Amino acid sequence: MATEQLSLDPQGKPAATGRVGVRVFGYALPPSMWLLVLFGVPLGLLLWMSFQHRSITGTGGFTLENYQAILSEPAYLKFAWNTVLICTISMAVMLAIAMPIAYLLAFCVRARYELLLLLLFVLAGELNPLIRVYAWRMVLGREGVINYTLQAIGVIDAPIDVLLFSKLAVIIVLSTTYIPYTTIPIYASLKAVEPDLLEAADDLGARFSTRFRKILLPLAAPGIFVAIIIVYIPMFSEFATPALVGGTSGSMIGNAIQEQVLEAGNWGIGSAMSFLLLVLSAAVAFGGYRAARIKKLEAGA
Amino acid sequence: MFLAIVVLLLYGPLLILALFSFNDSIIIALPFEGFTGQWYTDALSNPVLLEGLRNSVGVAFVVMPVSLLLGTLAAFAVTRFRYKARGPVAGLIGAPLVVPWLLIGVGALIFFNRINVPLSLKTITLMHITVAFPLVAAIVGARLVRFDRRVEEAALDLGATPREVLRYIILPHVMPALAASAIFAFSYSFNNFVISFFTGGFEITFPIWVFSTLRHAQNVPIVNAISTLVSVLQVVIVLVAWRLAAGSKRTGGSLDADAVAGVFAGQVK
Repeated sequence: MATEQLSLDPQGKPAATGRVGVRVFGYALPPSMWLLVLFGVPLGLLLWMSFQHRSITGTGGFTLENYQAILSEPAYLKFAWNTVLICTISMAVMLAIAMPIAYLLAFCVRARYELLLLLLFVLAGELNPLIRVYAWRMVLGREGVINYTLQAIGVIDAPIDVLLFSKLAVIIVLSTTYIPYTTIPIYASLKAVEPDLLEAADDLGARFSTRFRKILLPLAAPGIFVAIIIVYIPMFSEFATPALVGGTSGSMIGNAIQEQVLEAGNWGIGSAMSFLLLVLSAAVAFGGYRAARIKKLEAGA
Repeated sequence: MFLAIVVLLLYGPLLILALFSFNDSIIIALPFEGFTGQWYTDALSNPVLLEGLRNSVGVAFVVMPVSLLLGTLAAFAVTRFRYKARGPVAGLIGAPLVVPWLLIGVGALIFFNRINVPLSLKTITLMHITVAFPLVAAIVGARLVRFDRRVEEAALDLGATPREVLRYIILPHVMPALAASAIFAFSYSFNNFVISFFTGGFEITFPIWVFSTLRHAQNVPIVNAISTLVSVLQVVIVLVAWRLAAGSKRTGGSLDADAVAGVFAGQVK
């Protein structure tokens, strides 16, 4: 292993083992350059554009007016509030469902079914999300399956309209779209728990609530953190789902960004909103990371 | 019971969508009006839809191999060497996995505009690779981390050349991860809507066709028909891959862990 170890001096030149250094660059350079050009530069431009005056060429000089425009426009603040509300409720719903599922999968289900259910979850995540959104329209719509059934058995006289083109619809669709991505990381981290540990706790007389708080939650914390990163953050930038089932009351920041960038051609405002979204995402990631760390420390104590 | 309800929530709506694709009525509502295959013939003779499907498949077939190559290089660079720049390189490769795709799409739109590159299937392909290969790197990297370096050292001691080590020892070890990555990269690209929408200009891909068709119409039976077909194909592909992985498991591979790692890293849209 020592033959592979090398260090680079701060100038980036291989220190002693020159030939190994060249090999590293052969591996690292193509992907790094690709990302710098097609990921780094575009995000940099996004930030730069958010501080530019609006003009046809997009280079009208430095300004804060895009940010001022966003923060003083009640409609945008409403979009932002909707986004936080919808994403937070969906995330809470998903965690409430995913944790028991992950627990059942990891400890209670027979191995055969465990693999089958896992496959069903992975598969659900592989199917086209837009198709899933459309499928829910047939369930939730005015003439949808739910309204039809409820009317047929006489529970309601007129169709319930709030089911589709509402915040509720967005929450239902987002929750069912992202639930595999919430469940699997939590399952993976629970799977690493020794069943003996739970049995020991059981033998020593710990009640379920105690076992949950002292053992399961701390050990699931890294999985919950991963779930929050890969689910909560992408949900913030959703725009296809709210556009298709949200109606006017369920619109989110993503819809406002899409409208500004593609329809109004106002890249400055669109970029500024995007950048605020990025800051929000980073805050969520950091918060999740801290929370997961604290849970881990509690487990250690 | 609880698990059954959740599985029903995941697959029930899709089954209803599939049922309506055979319903002999332009209005999608209960009760069923009888059986028809008309929506399937309509869908398969819709030129715009077919163009979208062709474009999506074509793009995905370019994205898959390029992402595999770049992702594997990245995985090697991050897991097999120690050097000062490793932290930043790993951070850069991981970053696209946590930045929302909407922002990558908007940024790319501005970028291509500033450097005067017209939006086309080519720009879609470039950006799909940008978001797909870090996922490949995560999956392959997870597998490489579990590689026992002593096997490699033993081979070298016994006189194998580095090329032979790569061909006969490392490659077979990462093969299941490469297979999983190929499928993830393909479906990442095929399913991608957001990035295509921003970087595609006037080009049509399958998800863009679905979105723009549904945006202005309530329910469209041909969308049911084509969605059913596409979903069935996707299910078959994933099942075949799972089977192949189960086969290789006996010979020491384990796809589930790699698949899980992939889903870990994957965003939905």
